[in-house]
Amino acid sequence: MAGNPAFGKRIRDLREARVKTDPTFSLRQFAERVGISATFLSKVERGEFDPPKAEHIITMAGLLGVDADELLSLANKVDPELEKIIKEQPTALPDLLRTVRGMSAEELRKLTERAREQKD
Amino acid sequence: MAKVKFLKRDEIESATLCLLADYGRKYGALAVPPVPVEEILEAHLGLTLDFDDLRTRLGTPDVLGATWIQDKAVLVDEALDPTGDRLREGRYRFTLAHEIGHWELHRHGFLANAGHPSLFGDKPAPSIVCRSGSRNDPMEWQADTFSGYLLMPKEMVLAAWQRRFGSLTPYIAKDEIADLSAKWGLADDQQPTVDAAKEMARVFNVSGQAMQIRLIGLGLVRTEQPPPDLFDATSSVSSAIGREGEALAKPLAISAYGGHREGFWKEKMPV
Repeated sequence: MAGNPAFGKRIRDLREARVKTDPTFSLRQFAERVGISATFLSKVERGEFDPPKAEHIITMAGLLGVDADELLSLANKVDPELEKIIKEQPTALPDLLRTVRGMSAEELRKLTERAREQKD
Repeated sequence: MAKVKFLKRDEIESATLCLLADYGRKYGALAVPPVPVEEILEAHLGLTLDFDDLRTRLGTPDVLGATWIQDKAVLVDEALDPTGDRLREGRYRFTLAHEIGHWELHRHGFLANAGHPSLFGDKPAPSIVCRSGSRNDPMEWQADTFSGYLLMPKEMVLAAWQRRFGSLTPYIAKDEIADLSAKWGLADDQQPTVDAAKEMARVFNVSGQAMQIRLIGLGLVRTEQPPPDLFDATSSVSSAIGREGEALAKPLAISAYGGHREGFWKEKMPV
């Protein structure tokens, strides 16, 4: 268990900010709502254990009111939903991803915006 | 080590009632048990709670919890983590309430004496280490006493007893204790937990032993047959409450205090 201090600290900071006004964000209640043990959460937050699996991170993001992708990328994980999405268009979507690979974040953002407009 | 100020039982009880009232003002009054100890520790007092293998980390056997006053951090041994095992809740909650007791009653002594030598990593040695099975440390006795009062406040216990049994008439547990002791082959100094205490323990989410001590202290459970003139409910309850200190002083389940380092305490597992 290598641990991921950056991810752990982010979760602890978010949770401690919430617990001051909402006691249901206590270590054990939060762990219970996420579906992991309190000891595991404690060690993840202190950077001793690796982050939990993606499904649990997405639940954490929902409870803490932050973007799941932010937490997933901190944890070096990919939303498992993406695999399902790719399988819906198993030729076109991998092709799209390979094509845009190497573009800058700004270029990708513009491209996403255009795609969104086209979709609407 | 900080010098421990002598505290009377009622001073410790007042400290728990003030804490509960402060919590109630911030988060809504506590009407019914169980007392939310984690919320008091983490939300109200702003202490950080963590679980760890304290036995290995501190190199101390039987350690239950430790408090770092300067860091505002409480560590509980991971063997006490009650996740997935409700039976461990009582012991776990007692440990948390005990550490809250150190924070409320003893932190000033440690804040004034800042700077403990570092034993490991980036975290200095804990201010207070709490272990099971030892004797005669006033600080640990105070934290244990605090824990009992915090988890089982008098008014809440009386109200719960009245709701359950319809009056404040004490339960004379002498026969049940004798039967249980015979059944389990217990020694004279071991007291089995009676059903009424087990039932109330579930309501307060504490161990049966801790609940029984509190009920005996409040005179709601009596281990001896009282003389006939004490059978009147009101007088027997109030006279028993008057003797609370004496009754609670008997080391029934939470038995051992003090010891060779900064202090240890013991809560026997329910029989």
